[in-house]
Amino acid sequence: MPDTQPILSLKAVRKMFGPQAAVDSIDLDIAEGEFFTIVGPSGSGKTTMLRMLAGMDTPTSGDILLRGERINDIPANKRPTCMVFQSLALFPHRTVGQNIEFPLKIRGEAPERRKARALQLMDLLRLPQSYYGKNVLKCSGGERQRVALARALAYDPQILFFDEPLSAIDYKLRKTLEKELKDIHRETRKTFVYITHSLEEAMVMSDRIGVMRAGRLVQVGTPQQIYSTPNTRFVSEFVGDVNVLPVSIGHDGKLHDATTGLHLKAPPIPRDFVQGHMVIRPEFLRFLESPEQADNAVSGRLYNEYALGSRIQYQVRVGDSVFVVEKLRQQPFTGRLDDEVIIGWDARDAILVTD
Amino acid sequence: MALSQGTRSAIPVILFLLAGFAAPLMAVIWFSFMPPRSFSFAGTPTLENYATIFESTSYISFLWSLGLAVVTVVLLAAICYPVAYGLVRVFGKWATLLTLLFTIPLFVSENIRLYGWVLFLIKNGVLLGSLKSLFGLQLESMLFTVPAIVLGMVYVYLPFMLFPMTLGISMVPNETRDAAFDLGATRWQVFKEVELPLSMPGVVIGFLLTFVLAVGSIAEAKVLGGQSVIPITHDIEIAFTYSQNWPLGSALAVLLMLVVGTLVVLALRRFDLDTFLGRR
Amino acid sequence: METRGQRTRHALITVWTLAVIVFLYLPTICIALASLTASRYFQFPISKWGLDWWAKTFNSIEIRQLLSTSITIALCVTVIAVVIAFFGALAFARYDWKGRSVYQKLILLPIFFPQSVLGLALLLWFSTLGLPLSWKTAVFAHLVWIVPVVTLVISIQVYSFDPALEEAAFDLGATRWQVLREVTLPVLFPGLFSGALFAFLLSWGNFPLSLFTTGADTTVPEYLYAKMVAGYTPGVPVLGTVSTIGATILLIGGYGLILAMRRAKTQDETGRT
Repeated sequence: MPDTQPILSLKAVRKMFGPQAAVDSIDLDIAEGEFFTIVGPSGSGKTTMLRMLAGMDTPTSGDILLRGERINDIPANKRPTCMVFQSLALFPHRTVGQNIEFPLKIRGEAPERRKARALQLMDLLRLPQSYYGKNVLKCSGGERQRVALARALAYDPQILFFDEPLSAIDYKLRKTLEKELKDIHRETRKTFVYITHSLEEAMVMSDRIGVMRAGRLVQVGTPQQIYSTPNTRFVSEFVGDVNVLPVSIGHDGKLHDATTGLHLKAPPIPRDFVQGHMVIRPEFLRFLESPEQADNAVSGRLYNEYALGSRIQYQVRVGDSVFVVEKLRQQPFTGRLDDEVIIGWDARDAILVTD
Repeated sequence: MALSQGTRSAIPVILFLLAGFAAPLMAVIWFSFMPPRSFSFAGTPTLENYATIFESTSYISFLWSLGLAVVTVVLLAAICYPVAYGLVRVFGKWATLLTLLFTIPLFVSENIRLYGWVLFLIKNGVLLGSLKSLFGLQLESMLFTVPAIVLGMVYVYLPFMLFPMTLGISMVPNETRDAAFDLGATRWQVFKEVELPLSMPGVVIGFLLTFVLAVGSIAEAKVLGGQSVIPITHDIEIAFTYSQNWPLGSALAVLLMLVVGTLVVLALRRFDLDTFLGRR
Repeated sequence: METRGQRTRHALITVWTLAVIVFLYLPTICIALASLTASRYFQFPISKWGLDWWAKTFNSIEIRQLLSTSITIALCVTVIAVVIAFFGALAFARYDWKGRSVYQKLILLPIFFPQSVLGLALLLWFSTLGLPLSWKTAVFAHLVWIVPVVTLVISIQVYSFDPALEEAAFDLGATRWQVLREVTLPVLFPGLFSGALFAFLLSWGNFPLSLFTTGADTTVPEYLYAKMVAGYTPGVPVLGTVSTIGATILLIGGYGLILAMRRAKTQDETGRT
């Protein structure tokens, strides 16, 4: 965190819907110019949180500060922030140009200046100038996306909020737009606050990520931190397929598999750790010839394999549990289905989590 | 069978409306060219009836009908917009119950309801009787005046403005309101720039429906107006009944149909019913 | 949003809406009050209350005749209108065919047409055809206006009907008739039911069309109108109140039935998951 004042601060922000807390005691600082993404499953409170930040909902308690000023009670139309909606909320009765110019018109700017600015923004977003008079309903999904972003930029906000704007778009176009959005962030140097349920999407674009669960922020960190050192089982599983073993500290003070009782070699164990889970990512599991080739090893039966683009995933059944192993497509495992196999991993690749 | 399934399904309705709607209208149009006071289709076509109308004072009835209809529509728009807005945006789960309450009177014959207003407004009725016994006030009854007619029309046609308007307002996507607000628009700007234009289809249908119904109304002027005003529909009825001059009545009806028809066709021409009713 | 301003605005809208509802029910209340007067002439405040006029009205053979005519007409209209409008609604909202958008607009014309003029046009038409006027011609006249209305009501349900359901049934081996009976009709039932309710009630309350097309037969609204114009008799408020209460019970009952069906269905669904 740079030592300058954060552009946006949340202090114990909470939002109640009846007896239910949709957002519960959130503390968070977002730095000027940052691309910050909030990730969480549906119902985790991320949309409620964004609506409070944008001024469309007010917190039940706690404070929201913009450059140190409390903005809790400032309505959305008076806040120097702007949101790109999930549905995009383009005005269907207006053309592309009129949509982009909307905030300028509201502000009472002269038509020529509005048009000039709209065309400039269309350039920035790679929308052809000929689209100026086009009906927004006749635009494709990706074009609408760009119009919505241009409209928000025309407001010239200090912070831009995004409410899962890419969720309804097909995979390939989404990948392109994710990169474009990051480019736009770089060019405009504005603060972006983005919410999504896809950690993969967050990883591509963000400077920092906050993972939300049941109204609380579980972990905040860079994509690298979230990926390699998740602090809970929830965060580790959010990243993708992982192997999770229930573990506990035995009478001998060592770590044991909670179901089989087998001793496991582990990374340094946190001081107050009593029981929890050991998380191993599938790419850190290896097929072995003998158990001694890795710190920890188990044997099981190769049950099935799945091609995942650049990688191949193998499912190995060990007793009642299932392990997933991933290898690069160029170096596939040569075993056959139903073969007895040994898989193993090193202590340094395992992560211990409590939750 | 070369006909598509859609065409086949439409056939019963189309045949029925040809026999029950188009044919009678054709008959009326044809009859309006028959010699005055004749009762058969066999006469030589003539423009005599139209000449009679243009020389007579029927235009006064026309103006009354149109004027009353315009006033009714304007009043209804002002009365219904807040209610329609409330039904869509404010009342939440109560909206269904309220809608039901607004629907019920629609199914009671308008005569009966208008008669209720007579009992309310008449001398020694509910209003004046209460004022007299409670405050000793003696007021003139407003029954049998033009305002009473307007009251009756506003009252009878209220649901026909309310429901299309509600439908129209419910077509405004919620997030477009939030978006406009977020982009700096004030309450009033949100209404003017987003809500009103997007709910326009419903508002237009409501205007059209109530205008047409009000122009064609007859009972309000009779029951509440007590002949203080003669609307065009009354002229038509008299021609058909008392004066037994069907060709003249037909000619008046044709003129009324022209006015109404032009309006309806103009308004409906640029209208996509699928988006309105199906919310596609 | 602006919570305080919003709250005031919402309060104003609520008050306004309630005022409009009072306005809507005021005359009905007046009629109910008048029906409970024991005296021959209506005077407010009511000095003598009584149910005498209710008894008198119900013992009258003339009134029973009126009610039976009105109900017969309404029932006939309901059955015929729902059948025609069901197919009309399929053409309106379900199928894509060449003349559809023209058809959609033409079908609205009778609704947008002044009813009194329509009644006269039908009168002229019937006399041209040499048909004697009776309750049967009135059924026809009502249908001209009610079929389009019911078509619209059913269409709204048809719009939300997923054509893939029919295709799936065909695919599973059903005949055209079986698809109609097993899939289309049950799914569209709520729409058909509210269509039937509309048809019955609109026919029951109709006056301008009946006035010119019933001939010697008389419906309740016609009778009331004749009595109103001729002068006051307490039978008018009584019959008016009966008519209002009947419509209300039918509407609330029908609405309750639809709600109950919907609830049963959602319970079914939640029970399954």
